[in-house]
Amino acid sequence: MTTVKPILLAEDNPRDAELALAAMEEHHLADKVVVCHDGAEVLDYLYCRGAFASRQQGNPVVVFLDLKMPKVDGLEVLRTIKNDVNLKPIPVVMLTSSREECDLAQSYALGANAYVVKPVEFHQFITAVKELSVFWGIINEPPPDSSESTN
Amino acid sequence: MAFVAQEHPVAPILSEPAPDGSRSPTPKIGKLMEWLTHWSIERRVLAGFGLVFAGIVVISAISYRNTSVLIENSRLDSKSHELVQLLDSVGEALDATERGHRRYLVTGEESYLKFYQSTVEQMPEYLQYLRGLTNEWPEQQSRVATLEELIARQLDAEARAITRREKDGYEAVRHLALSGAAKNELERIHFIMTELDAAEQRALQARVGQSTGSTRNTIALLGLGALLQLVLLASVYFLIHHDVTERRRVATELESRGELLQAANKELEAFSYSVSHDLRAPLRHIDGYAALLSKAAGEALNDKARRYLQTISDSAKQMGQLIDDLLVFSRMGRQDMLRTTVNLDQLVKTVLHDLHLDLQGRTISWTISPLPPVSGDPAMLRQVFVNLISNALKFTATRPEAKIEIGAIRRNPNEVEIFVRDNGVGFDMQYVNKLFGVFQRLHRSEEFEGTGIGLANVRRIIHRHGGRTWAEGALDQGATIYFSLPVARSLK
Repeated sequence: MTTVKPILLAEDNPRDAELALAAMEEHHLADKVVVCHDGAEVLDYLYCRGAFASRQQGNPVVVFLDLKMPKVDGLEVLRTIKNDVNLKPIPVVMLTSSREECDLAQSYALGANAYVVKPVEFHQFITAVKELSVFWGIINEPPPDSSESTN
Repeated sequence: MAFVAQEHPVAPILSEPAPDGSRSPTPKIGKLMEWLTHWSIERRVLAGFGLVFAGIVVISAISYRNTSVLIENSRLDSKSHELVQLLDSVGEALDATERGHRRYLVTGEESYLKFYQSTVEQMPEYLQYLRGLTNEWPEQQSRVATLEELIARQLDAEARAITRREKDGYEAVRHLALSGAAKNELERIHFIMTELDAAEQRALQARVGQSTGSTRNTIALLGLGALLQLVLLASVYFLIHHDVTERRRVATELESRGELLQAANKELEAFSYSVSHDLRAPLRHIDGYAALLSKAAGEALNDKARRYLQTISDSAKQMGQLIDDLLVFSRMGRQDMLRTTVNLDQLVKTVLHDLHLDLQGRTISWTISPLPPVSGDPAMLRQVFVNLISNALKFTATRPEAKIEIGAIRRNPNEVEIFVRDNGVGFDMQYVNKLFGVFQRLHRSEEFEGTGIGLANVRRIIHRHGGRTWAEGALDQGATIYFSLPVARSLK
């Protein structure tokens, strides 16, 4: 059996990250989640460098990307992912507080697979994160991992 | 705080300060200036050019009259000169005739009668000419008449003397030959001629005086006219210049204000972005951790503690709702607007369909009149009807039978007034000004839910369409919310 592919959660706010993890807990997805605290870390993870140099090869099953992050922001990470032949197939879900039209338009223009506005209400938030995790982490058939298949 | 309904237009920078008459040294001029500055530029220019034109007309008329006098005088002058010359010729001819006939009387030589004969032949012509030259002056004409008579008598006397000389010989006419047959007549003829001449000279003199005066007058008038026109043109220029300078100043000011507004708008955008992103996160955390706490503590919490936790999360949700409403409100102000023809009948139908969940279990009598098509943004206008109809439903909730009426009033061809009337709890007209304010509520939140943004959004949308909003109502007797919209151009 192949190793379980992780969910990558890019969230600079530790509380949001904790709440998201609490939501995923219920479906026992939390242990599959890798949390990155800024855009640079996300790129380090995806390119297996820095702190992630020794991680197991392979793309995450989905990336939940916050827009506003220190160092490298969500849109830049999205652009890098969608411009890289190996990373391009990874589904990217924008998970953000921003309802601004320009953010929506830019995200889709760069190739985001979904755009979800974080609800203020906890139950709604939990439901949203759960459904997203279940859909992308369990229901959705991820693209064949090129790096894995060559291994 | 930047979220303020744009109800107050920019200070009226276009109005000119009224000149203070009491402080001005010459109140009359001050008043005139005030009166003039109240005129539009077109009126001022028109008045200026009107005055210039009137001046030109008056001066031209006087100059024309003066010139006609000059021409007339010169015509009369030439007539006078001719008359003087003619008088000379007539005088000479008569003298020559007299001398000739006396020589004949003395000598009996026929050749001396040559002058007499030619004078007799020419005299009628001369006299006619003379009458023609004096026909404009009765005084001179009467002199000419006397002259005619005298000449006739002279020639007649001479003719008689000649006849006697022929018949009776020299002796019979000797005394006549010495003094002349018509001595008296000739003397009187010369006297009359001198009178004629003198009168003519006097008239000439008078005309010269008149012509000189008239010429001088014309020159002075033309000079004055030129000066007047210069003054008027200068004032017209001044008025235009004043106006143009003022306009330029206003334009510059407007431009700088526009730049400031643009900067303020940019700031507002950044602000609302940060509100949208950063302010919501802590709220999410409050609600989230309250929920986690309630789950973690579970049974350990008593009812009071559970209620506290519930209040914490309710407040967080409410603030989230307020922020969302503010964002919508701010977006309504910034969002690009579409301009198409909107079918309001269809729009109201869809809105009612979308609200059907709120209608369940309610007794509502609807009166919906046909609405005209208008020009505007369909999504924004839909928001207007959603807000107004939701309000009507909300505030009639306590009524056994809700009555909601939607209709249109057409007062002028460019604009339509639309109203939504209900028989709900109404409001006190005393607070009508607060009705359209942001987060202004006229009812306690326990009575009716809502954040108080609905009518503020309605007003903002209608203002962006170039319309107005107002309301009528009475406590416990329902409310009517009106708004006006420009009618679609092709449908006027």
